[in-house]
Amino acid sequence: MADEKQLNEDELFTFVEYSPEAAERTGYSEYSYWKSVFKNFLKKKTAVALTIVFLALVIFSFIALAIGKYDVNALRSDTSNAFIRPNGEYWFGTDNLGQDYWCQVWYAAQISIKLALIVALGECVVGITIGCIWGYVRKLDRLFTEIYNIINNIPTILYMMLIALLVGQNFTVMACSLIAFGWLTMARNVRNLVLMYRDREYNLASRCLGTPIWRVLLKNILPYLISVIILRLALSIPSTIALESTLSYLGLGLDVTTPSLGILLRNARTSFLSYPYLLIFPAVIVSLITVTFYLIGNAFSDAADPRNHV
Amino acid sequence: MKKRTAKITALMLASMMALAGCGGNGGGSNSGSNSGSGDSAKAEALTDLYTWETQAREVESLNVLNTQMATDLNVLTNLVEGLLSNDKDGKLIPALAEEWGSDDNGLTWTFKLREGVKWVDKNGEEKADCNAQDFLTGLEFILNYHKNGGANISMPGEMIVGAQEYYEYTKTLTEEDGRNLTTDAGSKFLEMVGIEAPDDYTVVYHCTSEMPYFETVATYNCLYPASQALIDEIGIDAFVACDDSNMWFNGAYLLTNYIQGNEKVLTKNESYWDTESQRFDTVTIKMIESLDTGFQLYQAGDLDRIDLSESNLTTIYNDENNEYNDQLVEKRPDKFSYQMHFNYSKMNEDGTPDENWNKAIANTAFRQAIYYGLNLKPYLARTNAINPLSCENNAYTMMGLVYMSDGRDYIDVVEEKLGLGESDGETPRRVDADKAAELKAQAMEELSAQGVTFPVEADYYIAANNQTSIDSAKVLQQAFSDCLGDDFIKLNIGTYVTNGTAEVIDPQLHSFVVNGWGADYGDPQNFLGQETYGEDSAYYSMNYSNINDATDETLINTYKEFTDLVNTAKAITDDNDARYEAYAEAESYMIENALVIPCNYNISWQLTHVNDYTVKNAPYGIQNYKYVGWETSVDAYTTEQYQSFASGSGNGASAAE
Amino acid sequence: MVKYTIKRLLQSLVTVLIVVTIVFLLMRMLPIENFFTEDQLIKYTEVQKHDALEKAGMLDSMPKQLVRYYGQLLHGDLGESRRIQSGQPVIAVIGQRFTVSMRIGVISLGISLVLGITLGILQTRHKDRLMDHIGTAYTIFVNAVPPLVSYSLILILGALVLGIPATYSTRNPGPSSILPIVCLSLASIAGYALWTRRYMVDEINKDYIKLARVKGMSTKSIMVKHVLRNAFVPLAQYLPASFLLTIGGSLLVERFFSVPGMGPLLTDAIGKFDTNVVQALVILYAVLGILGVFLGDVLMMLIDPRITLTDKGGTR
Repeated sequence: MADEKQLNEDELFTFVEYSPEAAERTGYSEYSYWKSVFKNFLKKKTAVALTIVFLALVIFSFIALAIGKYDVNALRSDTSNAFIRPNGEYWFGTDNLGQDYWCQVWYAAQISIKLALIVALGECVVGITIGCIWGYVRKLDRLFTEIYNIINNIPTILYMMLIALLVGQNFTVMACSLIAFGWLTMARNVRNLVLMYRDREYNLASRCLGTPIWRVLLKNILPYLISVIILRLALSIPSTIALESTLSYLGLGLDVTTPSLGILLRNARTSFLSYPYLLIFPAVIVSLITVTFYLIGNAFSDAADPRNHV
Repeated sequence: MKKRTAKITALMLASMMALAGCGGNGGGSNSGSNSGSGDSAKAEALTDLYTWETQAREVESLNVLNTQMATDLNVLTNLVEGLLSNDKDGKLIPALAEEWGSDDNGLTWTFKLREGVKWVDKNGEEKADCNAQDFLTGLEFILNYHKNGGANISMPGEMIVGAQEYYEYTKTLTEEDGRNLTTDAGSKFLEMVGIEAPDDYTVVYHCTSEMPYFETVATYNCLYPASQALIDEIGIDAFVACDDSNMWFNGAYLLTNYIQGNEKVLTKNESYWDTESQRFDTVTIKMIESLDTGFQLYQAGDLDRIDLSESNLTTIYNDENNEYNDQLVEKRPDKFSYQMHFNYSKMNEDGTPDENWNKAIANTAFRQAIYYGLNLKPYLARTNAINPLSCENNAYTMMGLVYMSDGRDYIDVVEEKLGLGESDGETPRRVDADKAAELKAQAMEELSAQGVTFPVEADYYIAANNQTSIDSAKVLQQAFSDCLGDDFIKLNIGTYVTNGTAEVIDPQLHSFVVNGWGADYGDPQNFLGQETYGEDSAYYSMNYSNINDATDETLINTYKEFTDLVNTAKAITDDNDARYEAYAEAESYMIENALVIPCNYNISWQLTHVNDYTVKNAPYGIQNYKYVGWETSVDAYTTEQYQSFASGSGNGASAAE
Repeated sequence: MVKYTIKRLLQSLVTVLIVVTIVFLLMRMLPIENFFTEDQLIKYTEVQKHDALEKAGMLDSMPKQLVRYYGQLLHGDLGESRRIQSGQPVIAVIGQRFTVSMRIGVISLGISLVLGITLGILQTRHKDRLMDHIGTAYTIFVNAVPPLVSYSLILILGALVLGIPATYSTRNPGPSSILPIVCLSLASIAGYALWTRRYMVDEINKDYIKLARVKGMSTKSIMVKHVLRNAFVPLAQYLPASFLLTIGGSLLVERFFSVPGMGPLLTDAIGKFDTNVVQALVILYAVLGILGVFLGDVLMMLIDPRITLTDKGGTR
């Protein structure tokens, strides 16, 4: 140890080896956008709790089907068992045909969640991509507006009817057609926001510095949109469930053999005054999904706002 | 900020409410007529009737000659009157014709018209006399391609001399020439078509062959009158598309308010010929979204009658304390007899023949196993949860269509020939599990030898948007599985989107169809004639059973035998009893061989202020919705009252004990 | 600007034409059997079917039909309804319905705008406090309960408990419109509240608001002058379209309360293969929709001068 004290003045200062990590440490803060988003999100206890509830719901729907006393694909209709209130044998009671309601509700929940998630993601991907290009590239504005107008002005029911007649009715067809007409709203939303931010001074500056379009879009504009996009995404989930039920009302929904929450709710409408449990069970699940996504959406979009990060 | 917003909100709201009110100065509330308090023995009758129709059944055309839709005719029968009408037992009664008859076994028919009948406009103002000329004008209009476009020609075309030829003739003309055709003396119409008006109040029809049942066609709109004066006044185009504002009325009511999708108000026609029979001051037909909204309207006193949906019925029936519990009444059957029509030439979706099914269904034992084995009780309970067996149908022809001279219903004769026992109140009369098991074994043996694989897959199609029929299909599926066994036949449920005929029937995808036939005229021919072999006029053979495309010799011979029996009966025109006896023979032959399997009648439950046993009730024609002679009560009828009505009526709808 | 407007409107005319052509072709892609009712398909003879199709001009070649239809349109003739109201001019069929839908729609739009935006503002002002939670709960409830169910609830509550007329009546349009208006407003109030809150909260976090605060501006004037105005920009885009499309009515609400409006007309017309009605409605909705988007853009520009639609050069 004593040796060290005897260093001469030259040896007091030496060149350090270049280390990128060390350089980062001083030059940048530890800030990472997505990390902060998640950190902020995790701070919201209710939102986190609801996320867990939702995941639990999805997992439970599988467990529920496994532990239920009846198999959804082998239900017996027996009108003498109709409208039995929930009891030890039929945990959610029976419907108008005397079929176990428990397995129907959980099976329908799976179908509806699957459909809603797929459609929401699909809408998002297609909608944002097209919306950004539409809003940003002036030359394409006219073209996209034209396409939007054409698709938007042809009644959805006409498409759905043609698709049902020509292609048939099943889960994949339903998901694809809902995405095919659902992206419009998202795209238009994104386009309007892009339009607002496009000509802000900092973007002008970016363009002057020769930043490529995709980078301007991705780094300068998209973060502003994230909160809105997430909210739209969260809302699209309940609206998909509602739309599906309206389409079923018109006979253009999923095929008969695939029960969805929308269909169960639609059917319960006729009997819920006398047999409220037929409405309550599916409605609670739909509400739970809606509430969850709404609150998660709100919390996430608050968390996504960079100004809340410091 | 907060305060101001609130103020603005209030202001806006106020103006909104004002706007809401300004659409028209709302007259008095039109709610309820069932406030009744009097519990006197003889209940007070309703003066205004509030009834309903579901929105899917809105009127499309108000031209009584142009339409064939039951939904249109249910309203129009009140607005325009024809030659004859029916009473509560379905018997013919005079309408515009006071007397009628035929002296030559039904080859020529003479109708003597009532004098003094007037055409009036919407406001009840007299416009013209209604006389024999109007019946000529009406028939010419129907048979003229350039005027009516071929609607409604099938019955007159088949029954009246020269009618079909006249229709073909008008098609060869230009539109202008066609429209200029008249019914004047010496016109092409009078020359060709077998109708004449010897004087202003007599109409004579000449039939293509002896038709003892032609008089029943006189209740149907294809022989309705049209006012030449009206056509002259507004022109052909406006007449074809006439609506409540420009049409003329000679019926029991005037259409005084017609708002599509909302309501129709019929007001008593003061110059209607029948001043004796009970009529309402107004009849309001409300368009409702579903029976459930309808039930809520009934509860609120806005309707005087409502059919009950499955869940409402179950609730009321199972709850003794429910205020409607003792008011549940069973309806009378509607005019349809439902049958299971097999498809003898079924196709797969790719257009190739479904050999497995076609071979199986051609086998008599296979069909009979279904006939004796299939217990439809759970399926019947879908229509009538309380008395499923009152919907049991064992004949092909609708009950009450024709009667033997000793007063027996024709279908009683059929059932006798089928050797059906008395009902035990538990299972449908024809079900015989032992016999079915025997036949099943026989069918499986015979068919396996022919290379048929079991279970035989059967496809049954229903409308995708109709939850009721989806549920019924599931029940039927269960009944197949329970009664016939999963090793024998397997029922698959398919759906169509908008039009079952286009999507399923035309491509022949169905294994069977359950379909109700409502008669056009009062003769078994109208039922049995739809199933014959090798005849173009047989609708069910041509469209549903596709028997003419079948290849199995035994099956075809059975069908030919049946067809011969029908034609033998058809040829008997001078003795109605012998005629009906022969038809019953043919019908029982068809059912015994299970060429077609009878399914059900439609008898549901309702809450009502109307005594249905006073309502016109014919299994054919368009008269049943005429609001004339109805007995009503300010207080809803009770189950007990209805039971006494039912037992008092000649051919009760077999109210179950 | 004028030049831009004219150009854009002319362009829209082309769009409408394309749309109606596509719909014309789509309708004819449906199987021809849809022309008949099920009853007619069974009861008509082949000859009758052929005659009916021929009389309706359905047997001509597609280009011929299309040219004939364009010819009609040039004369301003939308044709006649086939089955909705057999033989009546389409104009008359639409004419008697749209006022009903529009009256109910405009009232409900007014109510939802006022209540929705007010609720949104209140939620923002009291963010994360009771008022905000109440608003959120309402929004969630409305979105969570499917419309068919909530309409049933409103019907039962209104008709059986409060004694409000359960079906629309033209003789009594004031009180009988209450329930349909409530149903229509319910969801859109939630919608406006939700988006107002979202945009305002986004705006409040911006730097210039912080600056304004630091400057000592009162919260009230920050809210009105900056936050609300900026938050209103994205909402404004949708306003004209929402207003115009009230004509279209609402399928479910109008079915439910038997309102004789436009809502179910399109669905019914497609189902009944009433081609002229379908085409006329599509033209109407397309014109209104396009006009709505255009007016929305204009409104957005008026409120936020930074937004430009015309190409001034420089930017791309």
